[in-house]
Amino acid sequence: MDARILLVEDDPSIREVTAIGLRRAGFTVETAIDGQQGLARFGAEPFDLVLLDVMLPRLDGLEVCRAIRRTSTVAVVMLTARADTIDVVVGLEAGADDYVKKPFEVPELVARVRAALRRAGRGPDEADRLHLGPIAIDLAGRSATRDGETIALTRTEFDLLTELTRHAGQVLSRDTLLDRIWGYDYLGDSRLVDVAIQRLRAKIEADPAAPTLVLTVRGAGYKAVR
Amino acid sequence: MRGIRARLTVTLVALVALTAVLLGAGAYLFVENSLHAQVLRDAGAQAKFDLSVTVPARNLPPAPTCTDIIDSGLRQTFLLRGIDTIIDVDGCEPIVSDEDLVGVLPTLPSDLVERVGNGELAYAWVTVDGRPSLIVGGQSGGSGPAYYFIHDVSALEEALAQLRLALIVGTVILILVALLVARAIARGVLAPVEAAGRAAERIEGGDLSARVPVTSDDEFGTWAERFNRMAEALADTIGRLEAAEAQNRRFVADVAHELRTPLAALVAEASILREHLTELPPDSRRAGELLVTDVGRLRTLVDDLMEVSRFDAGAEQIAVEPVDFGDLARSVTAARLPDAALVLPAVPLIVETDSRRLERILGNLLDNAREHAAGSPVEVALAVDRGEISLAVSDRGPGVPPDRLERIFERFYKADPSRHGGSSGLGLAIAAEHAALLGGYLTAANLAGGGLRIELRLPVT
Repeated sequence: MDARILLVEDDPSIREVTAIGLRRAGFTVETAIDGQQGLARFGAEPFDLVLLDVMLPRLDGLEVCRAIRRTSTVAVVMLTARADTIDVVVGLEAGADDYVKKPFEVPELVARVRAALRRAGRGPDEADRLHLGPIAIDLAGRSATRDGETIALTRTEFDLLTELTRHAGQVLSRDTLLDRIWGYDYLGDSRLVDVAIQRLRAKIEADPAAPTLVLTVRGAGYKAVR
Repeated sequence: MRGIRARLTVTLVALVALTAVLLGAGAYLFVENSLHAQVLRDAGAQAKFDLSVTVPARNLPPAPTCTDIIDSGLRQTFLLRGIDTIIDVDGCEPIVSDEDLVGVLPTLPSDLVERVGNGELAYAWVTVDGRPSLIVGGQSGGSGPAYYFIHDVSALEEALAQLRLALIVGTVILILVALLVARAIARGVLAPVEAAGRAAERIEGGDLSARVPVTSDDEFGTWAERFNRMAEALADTIGRLEAAEAQNRRFVADVAHELRTPLAALVAEASILREHLTELPPDSRRAGELLVTDVGRLRTLVDDLMEVSRFDAGAEQIAVEPVDFGDLARSVTAARLPDAALVLPAVPLIVETDSRRLERILGNLLDNAREHAAGSPVEVALAVDRGEISLAVSDRGPGVPPDRLERIFERFYKADPSRHGGSSGLGLAIAAEHAALLGGYLTAANLAGGGLRIELRLPVT
């Protein structure tokens, strides 16, 4: 896999060892030491994935992520020292696809990067349209509309909505969703699913506090209404 | 508190009652005595006068017969003067001034009759015809018929009875008033004590701002001021301790936080090194292996320190959902200590709780068993016992000396200080904190025949 990765990390040791690990795994790695340099690099060359530390000098990772999202749908994985729910929420809100908690072991990071790249590379496989209540999902164009108006969804949110809609009426557990959307083949953090569902609801539900399209099934998981 | 109030009341009432009874009884006896003496004096004077003047004036013979007496007109005289009289003459029925007095003579006290027969002037308080009366008897000139003069004293006795009633009612009222006054005084005296009690109770409950109102400048006021000064000193000291404690906790949190970045680098570096250990010469390889292991230990320690400082910051929240305890016990055991035996109830046990914390508790208990009872059989048992969920991890290791059993949940407590395991010494303390957050607790017990059993008990909600 000859994917190009931009690694933005301020700590020199972590930056160097992570770059070594990723290169050994077959990736081409460019590095940046702060947010501004990261954005400059991103603007200058094409990348398949951006690894972004949240706590960066000058311009923090969340700002960088938002800036990238304004122009690109490139896969973004955040590196966060605090895997608190609030960080996850803010990261996903800024448009990140996944997060990896520090400290991480390099093989773990590589697995997560590969999963994110797989998802990003997953092309439009069906020239089809799906419907969930008033929401129309255009699989080919990877967009969702309500009454003709486009809903701004991140890649993760779009995938989540598509997966739930394909199995409308069927309960999907958090682990199933982690596996299918994030591509984790090991026990991941199911809070990621909860947060992503909340974000999705905020965009598609008329009243996110009383969801009617994506329902929680207590103790089991989530399901889209048929 | 009640004791003092009761004693004060009883004492005051008893004092008042005793005084009232003594005074009342004394006054009554004095009045009764003087009234009786007055009546007796008058009756005695009348008897003496009649026996020494009125009777001799009739010039009766020395031993008068009934006829002599009747003829003398004495009976009429006494009747006219309104003095009830009985004249006892030998040899005939007693001569009476009033028909009502027939038959009274035999009812008179024999003592009186005897003394009168001996020529004395004697008296007796008796009841005649249903009325309290004073009878004075005597002979005229020391011999002859006996004259008994009967004085109705019922008016006097009635007055005395009223006086008695008045005194009794008065005493009762006085005692009631004393009771009320005693209670009021007791309340007044004890109010500061009760206020102090309430203040002490609040301080005991952790409210160090509680003070006793200083309402007087007597002994109680002085005491209240002293109490308040003590409470203030206590609040000061505890405040300083709390500040020091908070500073300590912030320091721990800061240290843990500062360690995270170099640790993150170490973990990433070690993970790469681990994959290439076989390419190193033997000595370097051993050092590399140790380095990788020690980075793991450091990571556990820093993670645990971070977790502990989150508890100390009090920022922990729980997220409850229905959790199948059996499933959870099975998956955590499979991940942490697959060799452990599982004893699960026949029916699924599904309870609302925070699965993340539950996983952490069981994981830490299993780590502890693996660490301190390496190689021994470990059993994970789930049950419902006396309305609580019991999740116990038992090992067959060396156990813990009984006097240190409770201390194993303290931070950095090591049952065997010489042991250098991969644990931080915080695992059980963290498990105990999680258990408390879930509304439960951990207990530890040595097993008969060796081994340690640590049990999580959770209320069934």
